[in-house]
Amino acid sequence: MSVLRADNVRKFYDDLEVLRGVTFEVEPGEVKVIIGPSGSGKSTLLRCLAVLEEPEEGQVTLEGRRPGPGEVGMVFQQFNLFQNMTALQNVMSGLLHVRGQSKREAREQALAFLQRVGLEDKAAQYPDELSGGQQQRVAIARALVMKPRAMLFDEATSALDIELVREVLDVMESLAREGMTMVVVTHEMRFAQHVATSVLMMDEGRIVEEAPPDEFFSSPKEERTQRFLSLVE
Amino acid sequence: MLASFDTHLFWSALSSSPYWKGALIALALASASLGIAVVLGFFLALGRFSRFRVVRGIVFFYNWIFRATPTLLQLLFIWNALPLLWPVFAQGWFKPFIAALVALSLNEAAYMCEIIRAGLLSVDPGQELAGRALGMPRRKILRRVIVPQAVRIVIPPTGNEFITLLKLTSLASVISLQELLTASQNLAAVRFEYIEAYSAALVYYLGIVSVLMVLQSRLERKFTWSSRGRARVAAPAVPAISHDAR
Repeated sequence: MSVLRADNVRKFYDDLEVLRGVTFEVEPGEVKVIIGPSGSGKSTLLRCLAVLEEPEEGQVTLEGRRPGPGEVGMVFQQFNLFQNMTALQNVMSGLLHVRGQSKREAREQALAFLQRVGLEDKAAQYPDELSGGQQQRVAIARALVMKPRAMLFDEATSALDIELVREVLDVMESLAREGMTMVVVTHEMRFAQHVATSVLMMDEGRIVEEAPPDEFFSSPKEERTQRFLSLVE
Repeated sequence: MLASFDTHLFWSALSSSPYWKGALIALALASASLGIAVVLGFFLALGRFSRFRVVRGIVFFYNWIFRATPTLLQLLFIWNALPLLWPVFAQGWFKPFIAALVALSLNEAAYMCEIIRAGLLSVDPGQELAGRALGMPRRKILRRVIVPQAVRIVIPPTGNEFITLLKLTSLASVISLQELLTASQNLAAVRFEYIEAYSAALVYYLGIVSVLMVLQSRLERKFTWSSRGRARVAAPAVPAISHDAR
């Protein structure tokens, strides 16, 4: 059974139909990479999966039910770390204010997850004092500490300086190896090639094509995918 | 000119009890009014973001009334007209200080509403989004994430508001509150020594505002979340509101 599912999801912004009936699912441990031009609905699909947006039609389910708070982790392009909290406080925030844990428990777990992303020495720093790559790793730790059933990455490396992309991709790759269920919107084609279980092409609010990475990149079936790949590479 | 300045009179005015009591009353009135106005203004600001049109309408009406009419008129209305409308206000507890506190708080709340609204709006929407993605309830996001960040933006214009309020307390001299201006007026009227009487009052106002400015810069530093960036001065995102005509 799939972990995370979208069933015939339709989403409108005013009159604009951003998602035109998307059906999509991830099995446990799979890494699905979504590519496509801007405005194709990739981010909106992620936001629906993270329950940040309510679709007008269709539904999103996690193991057959509506996802609960923190069960689907989301990592944003702009990191969105809480500016008024240190790295440690950021990672603790979900445990304190969503899970209602004690400060001591939360602190212990948060430190472990900061260590997991290699930033235990930055615990006391504010986001302002961290590089983009470090901020994004803290953001990943903040989502992971909630023990999500699936992680969503919305162009997690697009806002980073080129030399900082690697450290974030490394964390994402190690997560994938550990069996985390992931949905990744990205322009990093090499990540897609090496890490993805399957790659999806989205355009104009629809999933145009889905295939394992080898097949997807070497012999894409759809004309739209071929055109997009020729532009990207 | 200076020959006519009676230094002795100036010093004795400065240290006289009507002056320091008057200054204390002005300070207490301004602080209490601002305190009430910040709380009231916060809820008014939230009301402006309400889903319900009625709530937004009430806030708009409130702000319209209190910003479009002179503060002095509001003060006189509350002191003189309110007791005629409701007998509760005709009783002994409704002293000039209370009347001034009510008038200045209600008036200031309308201004604070706009300042706080702008402060809340200046916080990056990504902050709320991240809170929601973690599953934080709206109220927690507001309290733990948005309000602390808005405070940083709201402090400088609120400091301005305090200064304005401190000066507005002098209006309460018309409803016989024994504040600082009344003290200097009384002295000037008795002795016709205007320069000394008014100068002593000036010194008090300047002194209070100076202390406030120090407190404000400390507070601003407290709400800057960066150990490196402590010295950095963030440009306030809130446009200055002119009070000249209040």
